[in-house]
Amino acid sequence: MDFIFLVFSSFSLLADPVNFAYVILGFVIGTIFAAIPGLTATLAMALLLPLTYSLSVETALMACASIYMAGMCGGSITATTINIPGAPSSMMTALDGYPMQQQGKGALALGHAALGSMFGGAVGALLLIAVAPFVAELSLLVKTTGKFSLLAFALIVVVIAQRGRIPQAGLAACIGLMLATVGLDAMEPITRFTYGYASLTAGIDLMPVIIGTFAIAEVLTQASARTDISAAAAAASKIRIRRRDFLPPMSDIRKIGFGCYFKSCLIGYFVGTLPGAGGSMGSFLAYTETVRTSSEPETFGKGNPQGTAASESANNAVCGGAMVPMLTFGIPGDPITAIMLGVLVINGIQPGPQLMADQAGLIAPMLAALLFSAVVLIPLTLWLIGPYFIKIVAVRKDVLYAVISLLAVVGSYVATYSTFQMFMALGMGVLAFYLRRNGFPVITMLLGYILGPNLEEFLRRSLALSNGDPTTFFTNPDSLFFVALTLVFVYFLVIRKPEGAAVAVKKV
Amino acid sequence: MLLNRQMVFLYVTLAVSVGYLVTALSLGAPIAESGLTPAFFPILVGSAAIVFCSILILQALRAAPEAMPAAKLRSYTHLWVVVAIFVYIAAFKPLGYFLSSGLFVFALIVLFSNFEKLLLKAIISAVIVAAAFVMFQHLFGVRLPVLWG
Repeated sequence: MDFIFLVFSSFSLLADPVNFAYVILGFVIGTIFAAIPGLTATLAMALLLPLTYSLSVETALMACASIYMAGMCGGSITATTINIPGAPSSMMTALDGYPMQQQGKGALALGHAALGSMFGGAVGALLLIAVAPFVAELSLLVKTTGKFSLLAFALIVVVIAQRGRIPQAGLAACIGLMLATVGLDAMEPITRFTYGYASLTAGIDLMPVIIGTFAIAEVLTQASARTDISAAAAAASKIRIRRRDFLPPMSDIRKIGFGCYFKSCLIGYFVGTLPGAGGSMGSFLAYTETVRTSSEPETFGKGNPQGTAASESANNAVCGGAMVPMLTFGIPGDPITAIMLGVLVINGIQPGPQLMADQAGLIAPMLAALLFSAVVLIPLTLWLIGPYFIKIVAVRKDVLYAVISLLAVVGSYVATYSTFQMFMALGMGVLAFYLRRNGFPVITMLLGYILGPNLEEFLRRSLALSNGDPTTFFTNPDSLFFVALTLVFVYFLVIRKPEGAAVAVKKV
Repeated sequence: MLLNRQMVFLYVTLAVSVGYLVTALSLGAPIAESGLTPAFFPILVGSAAIVFCSILILQALRAAPEAMPAAKLRSYTHLWVVVAIFVYIAAFKPLGYFLSSGLFVFALIVLFSNFEKLLLKAIISAVIVAAAFVMFQHLFGVRLPVLWG
């Protein structure tokens, strides 16, 4: 209860002009990046990561929260108006949003998307605020062996969630783990895999990994693909969105039903708590559930606003869900929460079970900003500047990617004022580019890199405590719980093989 | 096909994994009296990487050879971007932020477009570099290398 009170009292921090400016700026940047096909909110956050050095942790986390929320709803703009989802999480939104646009109801489709996003984001954030303290208390009960099993569970789930490409995901996770082992050993004074380079003694820094993986790799992908968006830009220039058509009528909202909104939010929230699932999986499952339970399933895909509402409610609810494992166990569920984790690490804060207990004062403002972004900024931004956002697909790509490259490379210099980190970012960018190009999911590499040090440490500590007895992982109840949970997920994701889910996961 | 683009990537990854495992083995015995040594986890990871690589190579070799896309032009722009970033980083401190960044941004704009309207692109580059300098140096307090000290 104290934490809930702390979150709501943190709304006062939004009255600070600096905090407020960064939350608004973060939201606008997140929306722009999510709306432009080829760019993502993850990229926006990766580019802004170096700037968090000069901000207070609270401000940086608040800006991250608003970028995250904006990234989930911004993709609906181009998905609805020109049938090109700006972000993978908006794929399902396009199924009904674009037919509505073709029927001359584009503004209404955007209104439904905004309303769904607002509802989903708010429910996800409220559930997070309510649930996170209890999960954090439970997480304190998890001892060393349980921590190893939990981290192994997270990594295995991320790998097997990549259905159809599990060996690729496994190899990518191994590459991440390899990167994590570079540098000084955590338990003994021995350096590993430095090959004589003193700069590698402290290990590979998180900043070049994130900037390389998400910013430089994206620039290389765009340079390699050179997608022609002139048709999209031409289509966008013809679209006229009238603001007065934006507000969905009550009759539409009643027809969609509170149950549909709430069920989609719950689906999105719980999908968000699973490592590696992400917004596209959440919106996919919510959409299919809505179609399954609808009395008129044949209307979906032809401009049924219920489809748009379900998809957007779910993908924005994912934001709240994905933060639960990140805040309580230090396990990021997706790239954006991985970068948020990076913000904490950069500022010397150790994520994990003690975070909510020791640093509640830093976390509460972030959750307040998440809720504020959902309830106030989503409807306000889309209503005020939604009609103009559609024009940004016509932005000059040469200038855009030149700016992104400059910010990425100079940004990687900021941490240590060393060109070594810049070269490291380039190396990571090239690695991530070739991984993506060959169908390897980079999220598993990133998670391997982030979870690797703790995974190794808890494995060694567990076995040291049990005198080398590996059955300790099955005799400790907390560890046994996560081992059993891993087996349940292996059964449902690998052995039973649910139909259709792979389609959504592949797009993550 | 033994040597298409994907196979080359897998062979390189396999070679790196083998190199990693060899280095891990050179760290010493994986298990000692006191428990696991610093070599244990890397040996485990290196072995797993080799297993995954081998599975993927076998899968690729067994897969039916796909028909090559007819006369599809390959773009090598990404390689030029890598070269541009590499040169930029190497020149960042010796040339200073303004000169190196100006040339870098200009090169990237040309790489992502064409060789037309070069003067306009040079002006855009200068504006971007100046704006980024203000943002980094003045807004976020980052000291960037400049030729005048």
